[in-house]
Amino acid sequence: MIVPPLVLVAAVAAAMALTGQGSDSVLRHVYLVPTVWAALARGVIGGGLAGMLAGLLHAPFALPAVEREGLTSQTLDGLLALVLPVLAGLLVGRLVDGSRAREARLRAILAIQRRLDGREPLENALPGVAEILRDTLRARRVALMVGSDIRSARLASVPTSTLVDGDSAAAFTLATGQPVTSPDLRGDPRVRASEPRASTPLRGLTLPLTSGAGIVGMVAVEWTGELPQATRVAAAELAAHVGLAVENARLTMRQQRFAEELCEKVAAATARLRELDQAKTEFLSVVSHELRTPLTALQGFSELLLRSALPPEKAHRCLVYLHTEACTLGRIVGELLDLSRIETGRPLELRPEPVDLDALMERNLELFAAEHRDHRFRWTSSAPGAAVHADPDALDRMMKNLLSNAVKYSPRGGHVRVSASPAPDDPGMVEVAVEDDGVGIPADQLPRIFDKYVRVPHPETAAARGLGLGLSLVKALAEAHGGRIEVESLPGKGSRFRLLLPGLDGQF
Amino acid sequence: MLLLSAPFEPSAGVPPGPPLRRYAQVGLAAAVVAGVGATIAVGAPARAGIGHGVAVGAIHAGLIAIGWLVATGAAPGWPAPALRLGVTTILASIAARLGPWGPLAFLLVPALLIRETRGRPSMRAVGVDGARLSHALIGLGAGAFLGAHLLITASLTFGYRVHATSGAAYLGALAYDVGVNVLSAEWLFRGALFTSWWRHGSFWPAALGTTALALVRYLLDPALPTASEARAGAIFYLGLVGLSACALRAWSGSLLPGYLAGLAFFAAYRTLTP
Repeated sequence: MIVPPLVLVAAVAAAMALTGQGSDSVLRHVYLVPTVWAALARGVIGGGLAGMLAGLLHAPFALPAVEREGLTSQTLDGLLALVLPVLAGLLVGRLVDGSRAREARLRAILAIQRRLDGREPLENALPGVAEILRDTLRARRVALMVGSDIRSARLASVPTSTLVDGDSAAAFTLATGQPVTSPDLRGDPRVRASEPRASTPLRGLTLPLTSGAGIVGMVAVEWTGELPQATRVAAAELAAHVGLAVENARLTMRQQRFAEELCEKVAAATARLRELDQAKTEFLSVVSHELRTPLTALQGFSELLLRSALPPEKAHRCLVYLHTEACTLGRIVGELLDLSRIETGRPLELRPEPVDLDALMERNLELFAAEHRDHRFRWTSSAPGAAVHADPDALDRMMKNLLSNAVKYSPRGGHVRVSASPAPDDPGMVEVAVEDDGVGIPADQLPRIFDKYVRVPHPETAAARGLGLGLSLVKALAEAHGGRIEVESLPGKGSRFRLLLPGLDGQF
Repeated sequence: MLLLSAPFEPSAGVPPGPPLRRYAQVGLAAAVVAGVGATIAVGAPARAGIGHGVAVGAIHAGLIAIGWLVATGAAPGWPAPALRLGVTTILASIAARLGPWGPLAFLLVPALLIRETRGRPSMRAVGVDGARLSHALIGLGAGAFLGAHLLITASLTFGYRVHATSGAAYLGALAYDVGVNVLSAEWLFRGALFTSWWRHGSFWPAALGTTALALVRYLLDPALPTASEARAGAIFYLGLVGLSACALRAWSGSLLPGYLAGLAFFAAYRTLTP
């Protein structure tokens, strides 16, 4: 692109020579055309070269006139025509270079913004930014580091370079925030370069990437040959912009992550609320059924007693039924009241006292054995006559719930083993274990087993009655005593519940 | 990438300054020898020729030796290659006065310079290296253009004639330019000084500074015509040749294009007769 204007300059000079014109020829003004053309095409180098050529080619016309006529207005005009193309070429070329540099910088800034818009991870976007910087600054190599420490910072370089020294100029800038400028890296006494000096200097510049949060990284640029001041200024401007863009990208990504996490949490909470809603609906259905069963019996037997004159044996049997169903009703109401207390955050009313485990267990096991003939109940204690510090009623309810659970989830009958021993992993606590060989609990249901309204579905236990409150009440009561409850289970093999309660001093 | 991989010591920041004392010693030694030559350059033609040869040779030997010191970092002691080059330059300059083929002895100097610089990485760093053909041709073209321009302008403006006095004298002058005149200028001003200054700064200060020094060296040359138009022309054209040589050195990485530009220019200049 530089050759046509130069040829045009030569053509103008040739035309002047061939037509025998002097330094005052009107053609001298035509020199400006190729000069400006060259300046527009190739900047200050093109403009300067074309202007210089025009001046040199005009000199054989202008200088003899000066020698012949001395300094007159005409010869001065000829001398001016000699100098003018040079000045015009340099001036226009400089303006063109400046304007192109500004345009390139603006394009680079836009391209960097597009790259660092937070849509892709920073480590994927950085090589593209390094490429943009290299092209804009016409550099040989560019490296971009994002992070505060040289060892953990993300590195992107063009061409790819992975060798990083912890004491390098890049590390220095990253640690201190101070830029490093080297006119020739291969001959700089501060840089221990292994490469020998080349015929053209290797310029180097490191700049910190800063944002409101401080130093967010570093950019290192190497040039071969000339490094104009304008390029250095451009590098500093672009580094400042990259620093802000990196920070913006980080903030955008953090916001996106936060929004995603929030969405996940909201979705999980909504699902949980739906589950609870469903569970409450089911609970109400179960409660009404559980309440209706004893109520129906109470109504039926009380009507029978009122309307019929039954013999004393039959009347006594009816009264026993009435009493049993009234107890059932009382237990259900008691559980509902406890649930209400737990849900409203009110403490459970406990009156702890030493409770003889042998007596409690034997009484409960006899009761359950009488009601469930298909099951075999066995009570063992490592210290007969041992006691725990607990509310007797609460402990009784806990044991009844656990035994009821064991019976309910071993529908084909089986063994129910109850044992008491010192807790091996918790000194001062007594472990009361209730073990069955029933259907067991799937692993994915175990974390929810102590939640309210939860009943583990199983084809063999679908007909079993219950509110889904028993285990959650046991848990609440155990914790109210300063203890806890744990479960181990294998589907098809059975379950083992460990109730840990504070023991009495000197026991076991 | 050196900024990433090379260890950096910020405290080792100030590079040692140029060893001006060594340069002064070499310059003084060259001036003493040149003075001795000028002293004996009186009397019989043979004696005058030898004296003149010693004086001219000593000046160029001094320029080449200082260039060597700048290029190699001026290690302590007298560098043997610089001494050999200096002695050869002086002997060639004496030989040039002894007969019509004597100036061919100047050609020994570039041959010896190539031999001495071979295998030294620091010499490649100052531009003692081959160049691409296109770069060499552009250098030759730039020098030829300026030389032709000089001939046209001088003949049109001052009525100078384009005519070599004799073939032998012209060839002798060309041998002088090839062997020492252009060689010492390119070696010292473009090779050593421009490279060093450009390495520590930017192009234009280095190019203008070294071209100004080269102009001073030519203006102090007693062989230059004393007429004012000749001196003005020398400043203009040697300035352009010098700046072109600097640009070619920076662009191509080699001294060869600038050296060819200088040779082409002087080849034209030698045909000019007032």
